[in-house]
Amino acid sequence: MSQASQYASPAVWIVESLLVFFILWKILSARRGRELFIRRIPGLSALDEAVGRATEMGKPILFAPGLSGLDIVGLQSMAILSHVVRKAARYGTRVIVPLADPVLYTVAEEVAKDAYNAEGVPERFDPEDVRFLSDRQFAWASGVVGILHREKVASALYFGYYFAESLILAENGQMVGAIQVAGTPATTQIPFFLASCDYTIIGDEYYAASAYLSREPTLLGSLVGQDLGKLVIIGIIVLGAIAFTAQAVCPAVGWLCDFTATIAKYFPRS
Amino acid sequence: MMGSVWNWIAAPRYGWQFAVFLCGALSLGCLALIMLTSTPPRYRKTIVAAVTFLAGLYYAFEFLIPPAFWPLEPPRNPLSEVQPLVATLTQIIWSFALLLGVWNLFVIHGRAVVKRGRGWCNSAAFFISFLAILGAGLLKDYTQGSTIRKASESVFTILFSGFLTSLDATMFSLIAFYIVSAAYRAFRVKSLEAGLMMAAAAIIMLALVPVGAEITNWLPQSGILSALRVERVGYWLLTSPNMAAQRAIAFGIAVGSLAMGLRIWLSLERGNFFDRQL
Repeated sequence: MSQASQYASPAVWIVESLLVFFILWKILSARRGRELFIRRIPGLSALDEAVGRATEMGKPILFAPGLSGLDIVGLQSMAILSHVVRKAARYGTRVIVPLADPVLYTVAEEVAKDAYNAEGVPERFDPEDVRFLSDRQFAWASGVVGILHREKVASALYFGYYFAESLILAENGQMVGAIQVAGTPATTQIPFFLASCDYTIIGDEYYAASAYLSREPTLLGSLVGQDLGKLVIIGIIVLGAIAFTAQAVCPAVGWLCDFTATIAKYFPRS
Repeated sequence: MMGSVWNWIAAPRYGWQFAVFLCGALSLGCLALIMLTSTPPRYRKTIVAAVTFLAGLYYAFEFLIPPAFWPLEPPRNPLSEVQPLVATLTQIIWSFALLLGVWNLFVIHGRAVVKRGRGWCNSAAFFISFLAILGAGLLKDYTQGSTIRKASESVFTILFSGFLTSLDATMFSLIAFYIVSAAYRAFRVKSLEAGLMMAAAAIIMLALVPVGAEITNWLPQSGILSALRVERVGYWLLTSPNMAAQRAIAFGIAVGSLAMGLRIWLSLERGNFFDRQL
């Protein structure tokens, strides 16, 4: 990587400033009590269905955070885990959490313990249900596959960062007849989850999960701010496309050339 | 200046210096832990929020402030010089947590062996393989005698390259079979969308094999009709509709992760785990 490319360019400054402004503005307005609407996300609504199915069948739920570490993806995964464990604890259903990252393992253990405490059933928490398997990708995958088959899980939830092991897990989940819900920001793995899972949460829906499940005003505000930020990005793309197309059609228009040159200066092609 | 101070702190130490630094680090860690636990609960969250904010501020300044801003010659961002040290600190935390992970494995498999429940042999296999590779690895790195070292190197190579790498490759190769069964389910034409996906997949598959190009070989190589050649349609599907969708998803993910990062940095994140009493 060149020395220049490791620091923020003017385009990054402009776009990030706008995004941060919209997100903070909407968080503050949501905290002041403004009602905000978010559309239904079937994959997230299916989490309750997955817990209900496992409860009816008297079998455990598997919650796999993939190969995520203690980062944004992993923390979002833990937020979803907390919701799932609370629901499951209410009905006395086990949730097995196999982990590949030792740091996230310690967090997951605390999250599960807290969820049982919050539901008033701390005695139902079994430390062996939150397991560190291995930090090697396929060793972890084979461990999870083993759990899927041995425990005959009724529901398998995959929320986190996945690589090639996604299909191995989802296909084995199919084999044991589990209802499967997946959510990952790894765009390369989304097709595999779509093919094998009952519900798949795509792209930024993954980051909407905590807001959607908790309906907490701060998180809802952040979600609406994100959408405004996306509108800004769409606006920049459309404006740039129109300007450059117009310049190609009418190359002699001076102000158009100046305008496209300014865009090219601040948003250079990488 | 800042970089050199940190470099001095982070430089490798040996002998008595290593012992002094290790004891110092442990004492500081214990002191910080005692201070945090003796702090009234209502202030603990504030301390954690302040530490989170300062840690995030480092990365924000490191990335956002260009080298030209700093009054240094040659122009450079002094915060970048500390980055290797920050990465090392992260690795150290990870190593400590790994011990906890290993302890968890020992507890779960130890209980399985003691109870002699179903599949206890698998748990016994864990202990055997763990101790074998640990022993071979330690002997390989820390023995002086050439015979023991050579023998342990051979054992380590057999265990690592012979077993572990082969098992990894086995798991990876299973994906080929799973792709077939997943594709069978995905390509069943049950709706208009599934039909469109099936057609797109068929065109791309044909575009990637010689027989596909042969099918539309009768079309001209140039001109309007050439756009209907299978390889060109396949290329267009991959680089236009597919790429546009992928970029749209990537934009959404980037904005989502920025929002989540901002919430955590400013301690605005909510939920059971984040709202808990510390």
